[in-house]
Amino acid sequence: MTTPFEFAEHNAKRFQTELHDLLRIKSISTDTNYAPDCQRAAEWLADHFQAIGLKAEVIPTSRHPLVYAEWTGADADATTVLVYGHYDVQPASQDEGWDSDPFEPVEHDGKIYARGSTDDKGQVFAHIKAVESLLQTEGKLPVNIKFLIEGEEESGSENIIKFVAEHADKLRAEVCVISDTSMSSKEQPVIVYALRGIVAFELHVYGPAHDLHSGMYGGSIHNPAQALAEMIAALHAEDGKVSIPGFYDDVREISAQEREAIAKSPYDNVQWAADTGATLPWGEPDYSIRERMGARPTLEINGMASGYWGNGLKAIIPSHAWAKITCRLVADQKPDRIAELFTKYITDITPPTVRSELKVLSSGTSATQVNIEAPVMQAAIRAYVRGWGAEPLFRREGGSIPIVSDFQTKLGLPIVMMGFGLNSDNLHGPNEHFHIDMLHKGIKTSIAFLQEIARVSS
Amino acid sequence: MTDAHRYAAQNYEHFKNNWLELLRIPSVSTDPAFAADLRRAAEWLVEKMKAIGLTAEAIDMPEGRHPMILGSWDGAGPDAKTVLIYSHYDVQPAVIEDGWKSDPFEPVEQDDFIYARGATDSKIHVISQLSAIESLLKTNTCPVNLRILFEGEEESGGETIGAFITQHPERVKADVAVISDGGIVAPDQPSLCYGLRGIVTFEMHLEGPKRDLHSGHWGGSVHNPAQALTEIISQLHDSEGQVNVPGFYDQVRSLDNAEREVMKGNLPWLQSEYQDVTAAPAPWGESDYTLHEKVGARPTLEVNGISSGYTGPGFKTVLPSRALAKISCRLVPDQDPRVIIQSVTEYIRQITPRTMRISFENIDYGRPALLLDRNTPAMRAAAEGYTHGWGKEPIYERAGGSVPIAYDLKDVCDNVVIMGFSYRGGGAHGPNEHARLSMFRQGIDAAIAFIHTFAKQ
Repeated sequence: MTTPFEFAEHNAKRFQTELHDLLRIKSISTDTNYAPDCQRAAEWLADHFQAIGLKAEVIPTSRHPLVYAEWTGADADATTVLVYGHYDVQPASQDEGWDSDPFEPVEHDGKIYARGSTDDKGQVFAHIKAVESLLQTEGKLPVNIKFLIEGEEESGSENIIKFVAEHADKLRAEVCVISDTSMSSKEQPVIVYALRGIVAFELHVYGPAHDLHSGMYGGSIHNPAQALAEMIAALHAEDGKVSIPGFYDDVREISAQEREAIAKSPYDNVQWAADTGATLPWGEPDYSIRERMGARPTLEINGMASGYWGNGLKAIIPSHAWAKITCRLVADQKPDRIAELFTKYITDITPPTVRSELKVLSSGTSATQVNIEAPVMQAAIRAYVRGWGAEPLFRREGGSIPIVSDFQTKLGLPIVMMGFGLNSDNLHGPNEHFHIDMLHKGIKTSIAFLQEIARVSS
Repeated sequence: MTDAHRYAAQNYEHFKNNWLELLRIPSVSTDPAFAADLRRAAEWLVEKMKAIGLTAEAIDMPEGRHPMILGSWDGAGPDAKTVLIYSHYDVQPAVIEDGWKSDPFEPVEQDDFIYARGATDSKIHVISQLSAIESLLKTNTCPVNLRILFEGEEESGGETIGAFITQHPERVKADVAVISDGGIVAPDQPSLCYGLRGIVTFEMHLEGPKRDLHSGHWGGSVHNPAQALTEIISQLHDSEGQVNVPGFYDQVRSLDNAEREVMKGNLPWLQSEYQDVTAAPAPWGESDYTLHEKVGARPTLEVNGISSGYTGPGFKTVLPSRALAKISCRLVPDQDPRVIIQSVTEYIRQITPRTMRISFENIDYGRPALLLDRNTPAMRAAAEGYTHGWGKEPIYERAGGSVPIAYDLKDVCDNVVIMGFSYRGGGAHGPNEHARLSMFRQGIDAAIAFIHTFAKQ
C-alpha cells in the first residue's frame, strides 16, 4: 500500500504544475484594479479543495473574498486543526528588476520564480497537498481540518479580522497552523514563536498652493520636499533609535535567557551582508543584528515622493511631498498608542512654514509571542524531524501577520508557525522564488504534523 | 499713433489666433517623446515668419536636440542698427493630472485670460514679437535690421544654442539683443529686469541594499536609503534657511546700498503677489534680506523632486534599495557653476553615511548669473517701450529665474535687454499656466515702440 509520503513523492510534478496555475493569477490585494483577480484566486482554491475531497466555500466580504474549506470526518474526539494562509500577493511588475514575468512561473535552478511563490501561495499549497496525500492513501485524516485562506494579508486583513470575531464557532479548533514565515537555511527548519506587529501611515507635507517656478520663488519658500526630509530625518536619532517620545515605553524587553538563545543562532553579520547586499549593518547599537531584526520595534520609510522625478529636469518648488511609513511593533506595544504618539510628534516637529497631515492607514496589528513549551510545539518538532529530517530551531520573525494576534486572543488557539520558505526568497521584492525541494519537504512535514498532533490529543 | 501701432490694433484678432494655434502644439522639450511636436512647432513658425517677409529657417541641432529657428531682415540698409529678438517656443511638461482645470494643450479663453501650457512661458513673447515685426514690415516702417532667434530647448538646458552662437556669431550679431521671456511684476506695472540668476542641476542617487527588502524581515538592521536621503537633504540648509555647504557663499557679490534702494521699488508688488500666488503657510528664507533680494540677489539650493520605494496606491511594506533626489542651485554674481557643483557634491559626499553608496548623475553646469547695466541707451529704449505699451514707467527688477541664452548673447551683441510681457502670477511651470490678453496687446505695442526708440538713439 502507498504511504502518504510515497503518494506525495509520486505526484510531485503534478503538484508543481497545479501550483503554477495558482501563481498565474495576479491576486494583488493592495491595488483595487486587481479585485477580479483576487476573486478568481479564491474560486480556484475553492474548486481545488472540492476536487481533493473537502467541503469548500468562497465567502464574499466588502473587499476580497475569504476561502473556507473543511473535512470533519475524523473520530468524534479527534483534534481539529485550523490552517491559515493567504492567496493575495504584493504588487509586482517586470520593470522593477524581475528577470521574467512575475505572473508567469518559471522553474530553474531548483526554484519556482513567481510573485507569491513563497509568500504565501506555495506554502499554503504544501498543506493542501498534505491533506490530499493523506486522503488519497488512507481515505481519511487523523484529525478534523479547517482551512481559512484570506485575500487581504498584504493590505491589512480587515475582513478576516471581522470574520474571525463573528464566526468563532465555525472556526472552533484546538490548534492553528500558519505557514507564512521563513527558515534559516534549506536544511535548518525554524518554528517562529514571535511576530512583530505593524501600523501604517502616510505623512503629507504641503507648502505653496501649487508647484512654483524655482527661479521666481526659490529662496523665499520652504520647499515641502526639503521640509519632509527635515521631518523624516528627525524621526530617528543618530544611533538608529526612533525619536518619537514614548515610542519604546511599552516594549517588552528581551529576557536574558532569550538573548542567550538568540546569540546561539548561526546567523551573523556576514550572512546578513550576503542576504541584503548592504555595505554595513545599521541600527540600535546595544542590540545584535538578530535582535534588531525581530525583537525590536522600527519605523521604516517604504516610499517617498515629491515634485518631478521623471526624465530630464523640471525646475520647480513642489507644492506637496509625502512618505509612506510603517512601524513594526513588538510585544505589548499597542498600534493605536503608537499612532497617537506619532501624530503628536509630527504636529510638534512640523515647521510653521508648511502644513502636515499624518494619515493612519489601518487600525494596525499587535505583535504576537507564543509559548515554546506548549504540547503542540512538541508535536511540531517531531513533525519536522520526520518530514524535513532535522529538528527545528525556535526564532522570532520581524514580519507581521495581522490575523495571528486575533487567532491567539479571539479564538484562544495556540499558534504553530511552521514556515517553509527562506528570508532570501525575495518575498516582496523582484524575482521572488520558492525552492522546489522545500515545497515537497513542506508537504511531508505537514503530513507528519497532522499525524503527530493526532497523537498528542489521543 | 504710428502706422505700425495702427496696423497692430487692426490685426489683433489675427495675432491672437496665431498665439492659440502655437499653444495647441505640445512642444515639451524635456521629454524625448515630444520631439515630433517640437519639429511641428518649428515648421509652423518658419512658415509664419516667411509669410510676413522675414527669411527664416529651422536649424537642426546636433545629438537630436530640438531645432532652433533663425530669421533675418536687412531691409533697413547697411547703416541702420540691427536688433536681435530672442525667445523660446518649447515648454515645460504638463499633464491634466497635475491639477489642470482643462487640457494644457487646448487653450481656454476666459475673460482676459488664456489658459494653456506655454501661454506665459514663453509663447506670448514669440507671438507678440512676431506681431510687432509684422506690423512694422507690413507698413514699411521698420527702421532697423532684424535677427530672430527662437530656441527649442530653453526648458531643457539650452546647451547647444550656446555652442551655435559661439560658432556662428555673425548670424546673431546685433546692436542689441532683446530677450523676450519672463514676466513683469504685475499686470499694470511694467518692470525692467536687469539681473538673472544662474542655475546648475544634478541628480543624487543613493543605494543601500542591493534590492528592495521586506521591511518586516530586515527592518531595524538595514539603513533605509529613503531615510538616509532625508538625513542628507536635511543637512543642506541651516535653520535660518541658509545653504549649509562650506564655501557656497564665498563668491557671492554683496549688494551695495544704492542697489538695495532700487530693489525696494518693486517690493509692494512682489509681496502682494507672493501671498496670492504661493499661498504658502508662512514666509521662509534668509531673514537679513528682503523678499526681492531673496528671490533675485541670493543663491539657493532647491530639491526639485525626490523618489524612493513604493509610490503607488495603498502601501507596500518594502525597505527600498535606492533613493533619488533632483537638485538645482540658483546662482548670483559672481558664483562659478563649476565651483558650486564641486562644493555641493563634495559636501554631500562628506555627509553621506557609510551605509550608503552615492553617485551624482546628469550634472548640468547650466549658466552663471547675469547682471546688466541699468543706464545704457538700449535699457532706456526698453523703458520707453514699456512706458508706451503700459502708459506707466517701469520699475527695476532682478529676476530669480535663469535664462541661459542671455549670457551667450551678451558675448556677441553690444547690449542685452530683457523684455517680458507676461506677469509673474502666470503660473509658469505649474498647472493652469495662463496669460492676459490685454498684456499680449500691450506687449505688441511696447515691442514696436522699443524698436522705434532704439533706432533713434
